[in-house]
Amino acid sequence: MPDSSFLPHLPLPASPLALFGLLLIAGMAGGELVRRVLRAPRIVGYVLTGMLLGAGGLGLLDEKLLGETWIFVDIALGLILYELGLKLDFSWLKRDRWLLATGIAESALSFVFIYCALAYFGVGSLYAAVAAAIGVATSPAVVMLVAQELKAEGQVTERALNLTAINSVVAFVLVTMLLSWIHHEYRAGWGLAVLHPVYLFGGSLVLGYAAFMAALWLSQWLGKHAERQFVLVLAIIIAAIGLARMLQLSVLIALLAFGVFARNLDERHDLAAVDLSRVGQLFFVVLFVVTGARLQIYELLAGGALAAAYILSRFAGKSIAIMCFARFSGVRPGTAGLLCLALTPMSGMAMAMVHGTADLYPEFLARLSTIVLSAVIVLEIAGPIAVQFAFTRAGEGREP
Amino acid sequence: MSESLEFKASAPFTVGTELELQILNSRDFDLARDAADLIGLLDRTDHPGAVKPEITESMVELNTSVHLTYDALAAELKSLRDAVTQAAQRLNVRIAGGGSHAFHQWTDRRIYPTERFNRLLEVYGYLAKQFTIFGQHVHVGCPDGDAAVYLTHILARYVPHFIALSASSPFQQGEDTAFQSSRLNTVSAFPLSGTLPFVHSWGEFEQFFDGMRAYGIVESMKDFYWDIRPKPEYGTVETRVFDTPLTVERAALIACYVQALARHILVDRPLAPSREVYTLYNYNRFQACRYGLGGKLIDAYSRQTVSLARDLRDTLKVVAPHAAALGNGEALARLAAGVEAGHSDADWLRGAFRERESLNDVARVQSDLWMGMRHD
Repeated sequence: MPDSSFLPHLPLPASPLALFGLLLIAGMAGGELVRRVLRAPRIVGYVLTGMLLGAGGLGLLDEKLLGETWIFVDIALGLILYELGLKLDFSWLKRDRWLLATGIAESALSFVFIYCALAYFGVGSLYAAVAAAIGVATSPAVVMLVAQELKAEGQVTERALNLTAINSVVAFVLVTMLLSWIHHEYRAGWGLAVLHPVYLFGGSLVLGYAAFMAALWLSQWLGKHAERQFVLVLAIIIAAIGLARMLQLSVLIALLAFGVFARNLDERHDLAAVDLSRVGQLFFVVLFVVTGARLQIYELLAGGALAAAYILSRFAGKSIAIMCFARFSGVRPGTAGLLCLALTPMSGMAMAMVHGTADLYPEFLARLSTIVLSAVIVLEIAGPIAVQFAFTRAGEGREP
Repeated sequence: MSESLEFKASAPFTVGTELELQILNSRDFDLARDAADLIGLLDRTDHPGAVKPEITESMVELNTSVHLTYDALAAELKSLRDAVTQAAQRLNVRIAGGGSHAFHQWTDRRIYPTERFNRLLEVYGYLAKQFTIFGQHVHVGCPDGDAAVYLTHILARYVPHFIALSASSPFQQGEDTAFQSSRLNTVSAFPLSGTLPFVHSWGEFEQFFDGMRAYGIVESMKDFYWDIRPKPEYGTVETRVFDTPLTVERAALIACYVQALARHILVDRPLAPSREVYTLYNYNRFQACRYGLGGKLIDAYSRQTVSLARDLRDTLKVVAPHAAALGNGEALARLAAGVEAGHSDADWLRGAFRERESLNDVARVQSDLWMGMRHD
């Protein structure tokens, strides 16, 4: 046996853990720099770090390495969707019907506006419809992380989070429905076109409900202690993410459903308020670095006018609806305008929605990506800044 | 500019009350920061009384108008409560009574942005944020300044009663304090807290006030955080030691007790002001804060140590005819029945904690109770 047999063999084997740690350090440093130099939200720094390291920059993070990070990205998205679900308060929507009306109107109008704008630019109707459906959703990760970073609290923050939850639900429903159309387009049988969306949506809902019931039973046994329930909730979230993957369901829909059930069906208040933000922070940094690494500037150039049309029509659709309806909710003047800004972000979730649904048709994905991702590049940077502006201007977040 | 200290006479024995209330979020029932939106919404709705900001964004203050009877006061408080509840529900926040929030962290509080409150933050530093505690103030109308000074000195003897009747701040910063009213400990940290100096007339008080103003210590009566203070611009004596009770009904009952007691003091003139009351003041006050109705009281006049509950029951009997004369006999009887039964808001809150061992649930049921969503 040679003397050097204890040494590792070159090339070194890839380690997802080392990658996780290194991406965390790089993202953390980028976030901190952006915070100190530009006084912009740290998220912007995570994304820029990713873009720098990714194929469009130094090329250190290629598609193979990015593939290794899926588990962290899934956990991040699962945590975010669960937390988002917790914000969606049906009893509030019953008491303030104008908030519900605002949510539905801004979702509907942004869908219609984006669809028309894309159609005007000659995008085929199926692509336009799926891209519009994805654009309905505001990035919950951005809104929630900026709120956490600024410790923002108040009507603009709470309403922005509830509207984000509503438009995410609408987007999921739309994208799942459009799945039938995609199958049809690719000449799949009627069985597949009908059963796949039903399985995806229904199955994810059932999984979310099962996660909620498990959390409820176990928390009744543990007692109402946040420390004890912390591990429980985290464990169920991770298990649900894994099961969604195993069963080829939607991680996003399942975890959102878990959160919504936990908020609205826990009638005896057995679930303690658990603060997942510190743990989540780790995964969120990696999520945004990875999102950034997948974005490439040339896509923006390729997208060009189309990206501009997408962004503007989306903003117009959301804003017109909010300006019309929000005032009836009895909030202070100026709140509506700030809500328009707070709902602009688009990000990693949009990409996950693209990937999570139409994986069966790679060429469809590729074409759709060029439409959506060029808009994501802009909104990934501008979105967090808009949200930060909205929350601080409302007096709800600390000045950065 | 110097403020005139002229005592504006008001109709004797009329009462009005102020309630400082907690604004909670409806997720984990921690304090929220929606005071400005809540007040803005209430400004646009029709309601009696007034709704004002307090030092931090998690507080709101309700003021009633001036009343003579319990029925009128309670009716106004209830319609004010309903208006506030309705506005809070539209904003998805909750409102709770109680002298303290069970588990909020004072470092999270933010000052309500007005010039006065920002100045208080500058002067008092962290004390300003810790001042996120919730009290009831009761104003009683006085015919003149001399009567106000006399009433203030005699009411001082009964401060333990007021504390024990309203005590509802057993928890602070996530801990059981062992106190029935922990709120007053926070007030005591302020340099201008305490009691009226031992002056005998309004003229003498004006001299004292002018001296303090000349030193630059105070600018107006507002700067004194005394337990009981004359309020010359309203023509009232304002008692400020009460924790905000868990319900508006109880707040109205407590106001009626102060009113009946004031009538007894000013009509019967049963006692002369005594320095001894102030010698024993902090001890008696501590006993009431710590043990509530179970505390001891050293009577400065008889020099006997008695049980606070016993002393309160005896006093309730003495002032009952005065309550009856004001048309509030039934209300006072209800308050007395509660004392007989040993009712205490602080105990109610501890009971709520024992049920689930969750302070979040305490804050939740506390707000259910105030908003009229549950009855006990």
